[in-house]
Amino acid sequence: MSAEAIRMEGIVKRFPGVVANAGIDFSLDWGEVHGLLGENGAGKTVLMCILYGLYQPDAGKIFIRGQETRVRSPHVAIGLGIGMVHQHFMLVPRLTVLENMAVGWEPKVGPLLDRRAMRRRIRALVEDYGLEVDPDARVEELSVGEQQRVEILKALYRGAEVLILDEPTAVLVEQEVEALFSTVRALKEQGKAVVFITHKLHEALEICDRITVLRKGKNVGTLEAKGATETQLAELMVGREVVFTVTPEPLESEGRVLLSVEDLSARDDRGVPAVRGVSLQVHDHEILGIAGVQGNGQKELLEAICGLRRPTKGRVRVGERELTGESPSRLATQGLVHIPEDRHLRGLILTFSVEENAILGQRRQPRFAVGPWAQKKRAIRAYAGELVQRFSVSVPSLTAPVRTLSGGNQQRLILARELSRAPQVIVAVQPTRGLDVGGMEFVWEQFLQARRNGAGILLVSMDLDEAMMLSDRIAVMYQGEIVAVLRRGEATKRELGLLMLRGTGEVG
Amino acid sequence: MEILSLNLFIAALRLATPIALVALGETYSERAGVINVGVEGMALAGALTTAVVAYFTGSPTLALIAAIGVGAFLGALHAVWSVYLRADHVVSGAAINLLALGFALFLTRVIWGWRGASPSAPTMDAWILVGVGLFLIGISQIYIFRTPWGLRLRVVGEHPRAADTAGINVHRTRLAYTVLNGALCGLAGAFLFNNLGRFTEGMVGGRGFIGIAAMVVGNYRPLPALLAAYLFGFVDALQMRLQDYIPSQFSLMLPYILTVIVLAGFLGRAKVPKALGKPYIKEQG
Repeated sequence: MSAEAIRMEGIVKRFPGVVANAGIDFSLDWGEVHGLLGENGAGKTVLMCILYGLYQPDAGKIFIRGQETRVRSPHVAIGLGIGMVHQHFMLVPRLTVLENMAVGWEPKVGPLLDRRAMRRRIRALVEDYGLEVDPDARVEELSVGEQQRVEILKALYRGAEVLILDEPTAVLVEQEVEALFSTVRALKEQGKAVVFITHKLHEALEICDRITVLRKGKNVGTLEAKGATETQLAELMVGREVVFTVTPEPLESEGRVLLSVEDLSARDDRGVPAVRGVSLQVHDHEILGIAGVQGNGQKELLEAICGLRRPTKGRVRVGERELTGESPSRLATQGLVHIPEDRHLRGLILTFSVEENAILGQRRQPRFAVGPWAQKKRAIRAYAGELVQRFSVSVPSLTAPVRTLSGGNQQRLILARELSRAPQVIVAVQPTRGLDVGGMEFVWEQFLQARRNGAGILLVSMDLDEAMMLSDRIAVMYQGEIVAVLRRGEATKRELGLLMLRGTGEVG
Repeated sequence: MEILSLNLFIAALRLATPIALVALGETYSERAGVINVGVEGMALAGALTTAVVAYFTGSPTLALIAAIGVGAFLGALHAVWSVYLRADHVVSGAAINLLALGFALFLTRVIWGWRGASPSAPTMDAWILVGVGLFLIGISQIYIFRTPWGLRLRVVGEHPRAADTAGINVHRTRLAYTVLNGALCGLAGAFLFNNLGRFTEGMVGGRGFIGIAAMVVGNYRPLPALLAAYLFGFVDALQMRLQDYIPSQFSLMLPYILTVIVLAGFLGRAKVPKALGKPYIKEQG
């Protein structure tokens, strides 16, 4: 096509414990919409934050209009004609559209803000790009789609020639997506360059000219959207290689239903229905995997089951007992334990010691406490010591804050605590996220041991290999519903990938 | 009735002035995101500085400038603690109140011995300061809502990250407006001294805190805050006249009772800046 607007070479960015970008090459032409595709955590947003000056790369070069440039801050990036619309908008809700757009680049009459000139410029932009918005409306009164329009207008007002849109459709409803796409096309016609970050294949194919797929911080392929298929992109995105495996032995279920979910619905944090009438059953000696692209309601489903989110409809039963909407602590006493996705937020109290964390949720049991007033320090220490040894958690000492443990050992401690409660049902979300191969294998072995002992396990994993390897059955979630349940061996990876990404298994 | 004479309304304006000045200062710093409960101490320091400088130099103008300077210095101190060193804003402000009170006790004894009050010193006409205050409040109403700088100020207190990407230095902005808050408190203290003609340790008497209340009632806007301050001033003036009818112990309580009642009604409704009291930390990496 036309000349190159941006070129990034060998971009490396490390955060404590993770390599977010492991040497990425990326280029962007004028008049092009370039899709950045990848799973969550693949490094898409980090790469673009580096271009926008929010992060400094540890290695690599950035060329803007052919000039090698260091982008020290977003302000510098804006000066270079780069604009970014974040997932969380950078708008002040209490101020008007006009004020939000003007700040930092205000037109003046004498000492005053020239609102009239500002309105004129907004109107010109509105006409050029078809982004209808009232300059004098307060941002808090606008819908999310309108706020996004304000963000795009703001970037254009600041002179953006290159526009980065970070998962712009994640917050939009269907009709708003259409409007956004026509805006993006208008930008392209004006010769601007657009980076479109997404993990939705059909969107990428619809709106982009070229698509770059990232996986685990690496560029695994840049291809022309014309001629590319969803299947091809899905394979690139999910990857093929399996790092490490365990083999679950075949076990006969006794047919007892340990966890039963009936017609469960729940809303997400924004109040939008995220789980739509899900029914599932977990039996003894069984691992039920839930596969799906992030953001299809898995998180909300699990939270609704575990008592962390109020279901709008439906029932949850553990064994014989109905426990819909009960507190997590009551669920735990009834035999349902939860290995949370975010171990820092929900699994551990980082500033508390290993022994304190070892009895979280059980601190009032008579074995650890005398009434509500006193702790049995010695019993707690003995118990924590036993857990640490049995699950080989490597800790500096039992009184050290959990913060000082590595991620793998933190996860081991959570598993030790929860699995030692002899649960009937284990609900685990991404239990191996961020762990190294050894840590993963340990977690898998523990789950298989629990399965051997007769527990039922509900496992949510974004890692398809993991879900396929461990699960006796796999349920695929798509847009809040379970679209298919497949037995072990029935499902090919390709078929699952298509189900996850499009809701149907037919190849198209 | 005799109590409600024109004089009462005029006296109310005088009594409202220090409250309104503090409310204006606090409006600036809280709009930028800095809570300053040290206003009481800053006003006391302003009054003390005015007394000392006027006593030794005989120049009320010099005394006024010095009071503003000392207030600004204390504002800078508070900003360094709370903005740059990320100390809790309320703790830092309370420390400044204690510091100012301790200094006042110390200096009055060293300079004048203990007599409960300073000897009288040359003053300027307090009405000049009333006029200055009204002028500043009117200008500020325009400044905050009509100028580019005022817009930047409001964004810093609501969404510092957005301000940062727009090229606004968040820390420096917060420092500047906290210094301004201190200077206005110093001016309020100078008014208090010029109004009375002598210095006593209790002369601020909660007017700093009432100033914060007036700002809340005025919903972080200078002119409405002035009206709220006038209401407090009016009740203060009224209670002085009521002392002829009811025991002074009761009438003296009136302004404070009013503060409690009004705050209870307005506190929940005020549009508190989103980033108030939160340190701004740049993105790492």
